[in-house]
Amino acid sequence: MVELAARLAGIVGERRVMLRAGELRTYESDGLPGYRSTPSLAVFPGTRDETIAVVKALAASHTSFVARGAGTGLSGGALADNVVLLGLHRLKRIVAIDGDNARAVVEPGVVNALLTAAASAYGLHYAPDPSSQSACTIGGNVAENAGGPHCLKYGVTLNHVIALTVLLPDGEVVTLGNPDGESEGYDLLGAFVGSEGCFGVVLDATIRLERNPQAVRTLLADFASVDGAAHAVSDIIAAGIVAAAMEMMDNAAIQVVEASIYAAGYPVDAAAILLIELDGAAAGLDDDVARVAQFCKAAGARAVRVAADPADRARLWQGRKKAFGAMGRVSPHLVVQDAVVPRTRLPQVLADIHHIGVRHGVNVCNVFHAGDGNLHPNIGYDANDADEAARVHAAMGEIMQVCIDAGGTITGEHGVGLDKLPYMDSLFTPDTLGAMCALRSVFDPERRANPGKVVPVHRCREWLAAPAARAGHPR
Amino acid sequence: MSRGAGVTTPCAIPGTPLADARAGLDACVHCGSCLQACPTYLVLEDENDSPRGRLDLMRALVDGILPTSDPDVRSHIDRCLGCRACEPACPSGVPYGHLLEATRATLTAERPNPFIVRLILFAFARPALLHAAMFGGRVTRALRLSRLLARLPGRIGFAMAMLESTRSPLPHRTYQPRSDGSRGAVAVLQGCVMEGLFAETNRATSRTLAANDFSIVEAPGQRCCGALHAHAGDIDTARTLARANIIAFERSGAEVIAVNAAGCGAIMKEYGVLLADDAAWRDRATVFAARVRDITELLASAGPRLGAPVPVTVTYDAPCHLLHAQHIASPPLRVLAAVPGLVLMPLAESEHCCGSAGIYNPVEPETSERVLEPKLRHIAATGAALVATGNPGCLMQIGAGLHQARMSARAIHPVDLLDASYAAERS
Repeated sequence: MVELAARLAGIVGERRVMLRAGELRTYESDGLPGYRSTPSLAVFPGTRDETIAVVKALAASHTSFVARGAGTGLSGGALADNVVLLGLHRLKRIVAIDGDNARAVVEPGVVNALLTAAASAYGLHYAPDPSSQSACTIGGNVAENAGGPHCLKYGVTLNHVIALTVLLPDGEVVTLGNPDGESEGYDLLGAFVGSEGCFGVVLDATIRLERNPQAVRTLLADFASVDGAAHAVSDIIAAGIVAAAMEMMDNAAIQVVEASIYAAGYPVDAAAILLIELDGAAAGLDDDVARVAQFCKAAGARAVRVAADPADRARLWQGRKKAFGAMGRVSPHLVVQDAVVPRTRLPQVLADIHHIGVRHGVNVCNVFHAGDGNLHPNIGYDANDADEAARVHAAMGEIMQVCIDAGGTITGEHGVGLDKLPYMDSLFTPDTLGAMCALRSVFDPERRANPGKVVPVHRCREWLAAPAARAGHPR
Repeated sequence: MSRGAGVTTPCAIPGTPLADARAGLDACVHCGSCLQACPTYLVLEDENDSPRGRLDLMRALVDGILPTSDPDVRSHIDRCLGCRACEPACPSGVPYGHLLEATRATLTAERPNPFIVRLILFAFARPALLHAAMFGGRVTRALRLSRLLARLPGRIGFAMAMLESTRSPLPHRTYQPRSDGSRGAVAVLQGCVMEGLFAETNRATSRTLAANDFSIVEAPGQRCCGALHAHAGDIDTARTLARANIIAFERSGAEVIAVNAAGCGAIMKEYGVLLADDAAWRDRATVFAARVRDITELLASAGPRLGAPVPVTVTYDAPCHLLHAQHIASPPLRVLAAVPGLVLMPLAESEHCCGSAGIYNPVEPETSERVLEPKLRHIAATGAALVATGNPGCLMQIGAGLHQARMSARAIHPVDLLDASYAAERS
C-alpha cells in the first residue's frame, strides 16, 4: 500500500494522498453515518488527466476502489472498506454552458446547486433537486440516478444526462450517449446512470438544462390527518393535474424543521402538510391552483395557502429540503429509508408504517415525495442504546417488507449501496441478481469498482468462482 | 465495515472542555450542508478542513479513536478560521463555534499554542504592552515606514500593508453633534486595535450615536474583550478579561454597550456562556451580554437620521462575527442607506470570510491568503471605491490585500461613512 501511495503521490501530489487515521476519519462515512468503513488510502485527483492516471495505476496493481463525490449519499454507497477511496470533488469545473441549446458540460465534482446558479444567467436551471443539492455533486447524482421533489414533473437524473465521458475501471475512456442525437445500438448511458459507482467513474457529463417556468405557484396545505393528505395526493394525480412537486411532511418532521434555523412557518399542530408546486405558462395556472386547493379541502385540509412571493416560496422549500439534516436536533443517530409504493397505496402503507413504529416503540418521522409515492421514513435514535438500536432496525425491516408487499420497491433515489443490500433478496430472484452481475462485468470484469455494493455477493458466488466461464452466460 | 450501534463509548478525555461540550457533537448527522459554506473547504478542497470533517475529528478525540497529540487533528483544527459560516447553514444547529473553542482549549492544554500566538495573546491581555505596541504601529504608520515595508514579501510585508491600510481614506472630521439624550445612555467599547489604529472610527462612533440622540458615557477600566483568547483556547484569560469588562461597564451606568468591532461584539454577547460555570458571575454575565449591541444595530434602531450627500460608490462585506455569530445582516446596510449619494454595489459572496479571522492571518498566512483571493476578485468586479466592513481584522485584511494588489479601492468602517455624511452637513 505504501508503494501504491508513493506512485499515486507522483500523480496527484503528496498532499492529495491520505493514509493516516487522522486524515481518513471524515472519509469513513457518507451522509448516513451509522456506517463507517476505513479506506486503505484516499486519493484526490484535481484534473481529468490525473484521474485517468490514478485509475490506470489502480488497474495496473489490480486494486479495488470506491468513487466518492461530496459524501452526502444516504445508502453507504461511497464507503471504502479497506480499498482505495477515489475522491472526485476537486473536479469542479463547469466546462461550458450552451444557453441556446439548454445544455451544460460539467465535471463530476460540480455541486448540483452551483450548476443551477450558473445556469440562471441563461434563464435555465438543472431540474433534479435532491435535498442535499447545496452540497452533492453531479457525479454522485449520476451514480445514484438521484431524484428530488421536482422530479415528479421533470424526471430524474437519467432524463437530464445526454452523454457521459466515462472512465472504465481498466483506465479506458469511453463516451456513452451522443451529445448530438440518439446514439446507435444499446442504451449504455441508461445502464450507466444509477450504476452506483460499480461500472466506472464519470469524467464529464453533458447535461440537459430546463427553461425556468414562466410562472410558479407553491401551495402549503394543512391537514389534521395523514390519511387526508395521502388521499389528496391520490386525488390530484387521478385528476390528471401534473404538479412540479408534491411533498408531504408529518407532524414529527414539521416539529423538527420549525425548531431549526430553517423554520418555514409550517403549522406546528398539523398532522401533515403537503407542499405542492405548480408551474408552467402563466395562463391557466391559477385555475390549476384553485383545483388543487379544492382537492385538498375536499380531502380534509384545514387551510391552503399560496406562497406570497419568491422569498416565501424559498423559505417553504428550504424547510422541506433541510428536514433530514435537522433530525440531528432530536436524536444523535438516524436511519432513513427510501422505499417507493404505488401512489394509490399511500394511505394504507402510511397507516401500516405508523403501527409498526408504535409496536416497536420508535418514533417514525415521514418527509417524502408523495407525488412519486417515494417514502422516506426516518427514525431518530441513540445508537449507544443497544435495545433501542435493535428495535429501530427491526422496525425498518418490517417497514421495507410492507412497502415490498404493497407492490413497491426498496429505493427510489438513494440507491442500494450497503444499506439496502439485505433487502435485495426479498425483491429479486437469484437469476435476476445474476443477470445484474453479468451486466456489471461488461463494464468492470475484474469487479474492482465499488466492490461489495448493490448486489449481495453471496448471490454471485458461483459466478465469482468462475467469472470467465460465466461471461456471456448470465444466470 | 462497522455499524456504529450497540456499544456505549466512554469519554476518552474526561474533564476537558471538549468533553463538557460533547453533547453538541451529537447534533451532527453528517448531512454535508456545511461544506459549501466553509471557506477553508472551498480553497483547500479537503473535507478534513470542513466543519463536518473537523467535527469528526473532535468526536474521534472524545471517543478515544485519535489521541489529542495527533498532528492531523491539530493542523485541521488550527486551520479553521472560526468564521462560523457553517452555523447558519446547519439544519441541526450544531454549536460549532463553541465546540471549536472547547477543542482548542483541550488541545492547548496538551501542547501550547505556537510562539506567535502566545505573544499576541500575552500582549492583548496587558494594557501597557498593548498601548506600547499600538503606539509603535502609529509611529511606523506616521513615518510612512509601513508603506515602504509593505513591499517586502511574506508575512512582514503583509503585516505592514495591514498597518498602512489603517490610514483613514476620508478627511479628518471634527464636528460637535447635538444630542437630546432621549435614546438612553450608551458606553462604547474602545477596543484594542480600534482605539490603537482606528481612533478616528471610535470618535465617529460616539459622534454618530450622539447625532441620533444617544448620550455617551465613559466606561473607564475596560479591557480587551477576550475574543482572541477564547478563540485560541485560552479560556481562563478570556474569563478574566470578561469579568473586568463587566465591572467597568456596570460602573458606567450605561443602559447599552455599543461595540464597533464585530469580533468583540460577538464574544461580549456570549459572556453568559463563557462564564456559565462560574456561579458567582453567571447571572451578571448573562445580564451584561443582553445589553451588548453592535454599533450598526443601535444606529439602525434609531433610523438612523439621514446626513448630507457623500457621492461615492461603496460595496459591503459582512464580517463573519457580525453575520454568522451575531446574525446581523441588514443594520449595516441601513447605516449606509442613510448616506445620500452613496451608491451601494452588491458584492458576490459577501457572506464568505476574508481570511482575517482574528489572529489567523499571522498564524496560517498561506491559507489566509488563499481565502482572501476570491474576496479581492469580487471586490474588483464591483468597481467600488470603498469596501465597508465593521471589524478591524477584516478592515486590515481586506485593506492590506487591496494595497498589495495595487487596487485603488480602500476599506472603511460603515460608521465612518455615516459620520462623513453628518460632518458634510456643517460644511
